[in-house]
Amino acid sequence: MPDNILQKLFQPSGRGKVWWLFAFIILLVIISGIIDAGSYYNKGADWLSAKTGQTIKLPYAKEIPFRLGLDLQGGTQLVYSADVTNVPEADRRSAIDGVRDVIERRVNVFGVSEPNIQTNKSGDDYQVIVELAGIKDVNEAIKTIGETPLLEFKEQNTAVKQLTEEEKNQLIATNQEAEKKAEEILGKAISGGDFTALVGEFSNDDAAKANGGDLGWVTENDNQAIVSQIKGLDKGKVYADLIKTSQGFEIVKLEDKRVKINPFDNKSEKEVKASHLLICFQGSDNCENGLSKEEALAKISKLKEEAIPANFIDLVKNNSTEPGAETSGGDLGWFAKGAMVKPFADAVFSQSVGTISDVVETPFGYHLIYKQEEKDLEEYKISHILIKTAKEEDVAGPQSEWKNTELSGKNLKRAAVNFNPNDNSPEVSLEFDDEGAKMFADITGRNINKPVAIYLDGYAISVPTVNEKITGGKAVISGRFNIQEAKLLSQRLNAGALPVPISLVNQQTVGASLGRDSLVASLDAGLYAFLLVGIFMILFYRLPGLLSVISLLIYSLLVLAIFKIWPVTLTLSGVAGFIFSVGIAVDANVLTFARLREELRRGRPLNSALEEAFARAWPSIRDSNSFTIITSIILIIFTTSVVKGFAVTLIIGVAMSMFSAIIITRTFLRLIPARWLESKHWLITSIKKQS
Amino acid sequence: MNYRIIQKRGIWLGISGSLFIAAVIAIFMWGLKFGIDFTGGSLLEVKFTGIRLEVSAIEGQLKDLNLGSLIVQPVNKDGMILRFQDSSKEKHQEVLNKLDELVKKDQKDQKIEEVRYDAVGPSIGIELKRKAILSIFWVLVAIVIYISIAFLKVSKPVVSWKYGVSALIAMSHDVIITIGAFAALGRFYNMEINAPFVAAVLTVLGYSVHDTIVVFDRIRENLPKSDEDFASTVNISLNQTLGRSINTSMTALLALVSIIIFGGESIRSFALALTIGIFIGTYSSIFVASPLLVVWERLRKDR
Repeated sequence: MPDNILQKLFQPSGRGKVWWLFAFIILLVIISGIIDAGSYYNKGADWLSAKTGQTIKLPYAKEIPFRLGLDLQGGTQLVYSADVTNVPEADRRSAIDGVRDVIERRVNVFGVSEPNIQTNKSGDDYQVIVELAGIKDVNEAIKTIGETPLLEFKEQNTAVKQLTEEEKNQLIATNQEAEKKAEEILGKAISGGDFTALVGEFSNDDAAKANGGDLGWVTENDNQAIVSQIKGLDKGKVYADLIKTSQGFEIVKLEDKRVKINPFDNKSEKEVKASHLLICFQGSDNCENGLSKEEALAKISKLKEEAIPANFIDLVKNNSTEPGAETSGGDLGWFAKGAMVKPFADAVFSQSVGTISDVVETPFGYHLIYKQEEKDLEEYKISHILIKTAKEEDVAGPQSEWKNTELSGKNLKRAAVNFNPNDNSPEVSLEFDDEGAKMFADITGRNINKPVAIYLDGYAISVPTVNEKITGGKAVISGRFNIQEAKLLSQRLNAGALPVPISLVNQQTVGASLGRDSLVASLDAGLYAFLLVGIFMILFYRLPGLLSVISLLIYSLLVLAIFKIWPVTLTLSGVAGFIFSVGIAVDANVLTFARLREELRRGRPLNSALEEAFARAWPSIRDSNSFTIITSIILIIFTTSVVKGFAVTLIIGVAMSMFSAIIITRTFLRLIPARWLESKHWLITSIKKQS
Repeated sequence: MNYRIIQKRGIWLGISGSLFIAAVIAIFMWGLKFGIDFTGGSLLEVKFTGIRLEVSAIEGQLKDLNLGSLIVQPVNKDGMILRFQDSSKEKHQEVLNKLDELVKKDQKDQKIEEVRYDAVGPSIGIELKRKAILSIFWVLVAIVIYISIAFLKVSKPVVSWKYGVSALIAMSHDVIITIGAFAALGRFYNMEINAPFVAAVLTVLGYSVHDTIVVFDRIRENLPKSDEDFASTVNISLNQTLGRSINTSMTALLALVSIIIFGGESIRSFALALTIGIFIGTYSSIFVASPLLVVWERLRKDR
């Protein structure tokens, strides 16, 4: 027999173990009590040290406040949806994190205490959730977040836009209408209508409209599509057909024609009809035959010896290196002097008709030229009415000129105001982070001699042309702003440029007064719930009921302490979850006590009935509570934040309730001496023991 | 005491059946009144420091703003709730300005205070519906798996998955009747269904199963040592757990009723949904799930 309490404790058998558990529970109660009511504990410590003259100094506890949700303390929740369509799949996550960081900096500038900013992906939609507690002016906050500049770097878009079937049909329909209209006008013009008046009324060529549609003197070279058609027309006549050009349908009147006179030597200009044979060599333009210059010269000199007008075309077809010469026979058709490179033109215009030239060297290689005909160059004075037709881009909308690059505002390290060394105008200089510097080098590297565009909030603010690959990660936005604007821009960029555009999709504001009211109401509800449940348990289960109420009290202390140190954000629904858990926390006790009564009714002695009741009730408690926990986990995974608060508190509550019912209540019941309880049977049940 | 619950199962199942049918009819006839969490739109609650404006005056003042459907409802003694379709922040500001203008016209020093403002974009609503359906689906799957595993050892005379399916039927019954009650509440008291309602329904699912499991557990425990037939064993088990079932629901309902009475306007419909669901859930764990097991066992025998 153990004869003192120490021996009882260190040889834990039966009741000794129970005392250990009891001590553990008391310790838990003290710790969670201090966590729950830190400020009261600290005041008590102060009071104690004052009373005892500084002899007893308890250590201070850290005062941890409850973290209240927006609906209990007032505030605003803003949900932004981020448009990541321009960002490759793999980079979206980091783009969103970039948005979050930027908004965080922005909000910090705004001075909200403890802003809570989270990202969320639901389906394909990326969201940023901004929670601003206790904020006064929500609109100002929205403006501040929304105003954050969006900085993008773009390069030229070379992709071709495809028309849809519908758009193609629309295009055809539009152009058929234009043709019909053009034909009507043509009819009027031919039947003697006033051409100038028709021009004024219908022509889409606004430049020529003022001069009655006059295009001035043109040669066939200047406007091949029209002049080739009207060459044979008499002066003052309208061409009898519509002429289709790239612009649209043309109704053309030939006003006058003459031989073109060269203004320098006052001689009439000529045009010639000729064909040529080309032997190119390595180093000449577009040459692929691989002959050296000497070999090419030898070859063409040999051909020159063979060549006469009668066999020229065959020689060309068999030997010329000009692409397509096998079929064209080197025919160049009619051309004026300006149409050919100078050595070629000089040769062909100086040789006689019907002869073959000596070897001529041009950048394309060596030529032999057979001059077939020569005549004076005619030029024509033309007036026209243009009925424009639609082009693909008119229907499909303009091809977007720029496309996004991988570089965006999120790669910006710093922006500063500089002055251009040449004209002293203010500029904003940009410095990229390491990744950004690399991207910028790539972008400039592949766009040499091409423009890139810097877009701010959707507008191009600077479109410099790249001269060379820029390494070192620095760029300058120049022009178009004064010093204030430059300063403001650099400040905004420093605060953060958004990597992708965002839009506000959801807003919830709870006024501070409503939050306070809700908080008070929840506390009331919690208090009454506790009271009602407690009264019910004591009335129904007597002493065990009272013990279960005490363990419910301890349960509440523990759960609240967990809420504080976790910390769990307590929302209205979260508090409701906690109150509800108070209601079901006693379930485990109810199960056990009901079992206890049953066992007693069967005539078991109290002590063993107690153990039997706990043992038998456990599987049910485990099964049913673990199911509530599974449901809550599913709630947390699949639903919105409002619901999550509820599910989190419910999980904590249910888990702790199992602990309190099994460990705490049981320990209390075991501590009561069985012999004493046996004599006070009414404390447990009115049912008399069957004997 | 031994109540003859199983023996009178026709009555209980009859009551359940009629309630269930009534709920289904209510849902189809009246539909559910979805709140802005699901439909998208705005909810603005304001408080008047002076005399509260008339509903008609507010409607008249806001007529030109094109807010979509505008519903104005007085709350408490000094507040007003406005619901409208448009959820842009510009419209929100315009509404506040217009209301302020109206207040200032008659009462110079008075103003309105914004108590609460929720704006939900339409895409969020669609997302919520998707998530709600998904979570209900997964809870159902979890229930069948969980119960089937828990009752794996109990195979005579009813196989384990039948416990799962019975619990599932009882639970669907609870949820449908709860939703039906809200169809009626929506029809007659304008009670709306928002995101927390989904949580309430899922919690009811969990609770209903939890309650049913306790009864099934007792059946599982009694079966090997019972000399009586299946129906009587179930009935004894029911009687043994009856006190517990009712008492547990009592404590849960006491907590919920406290929330309904004292917890404030914002959480009331949530607590009400839980209350209805748990009440029905308790009923079904006693009067639906176990009788169904017996019915099933009888059917097997008759074949």
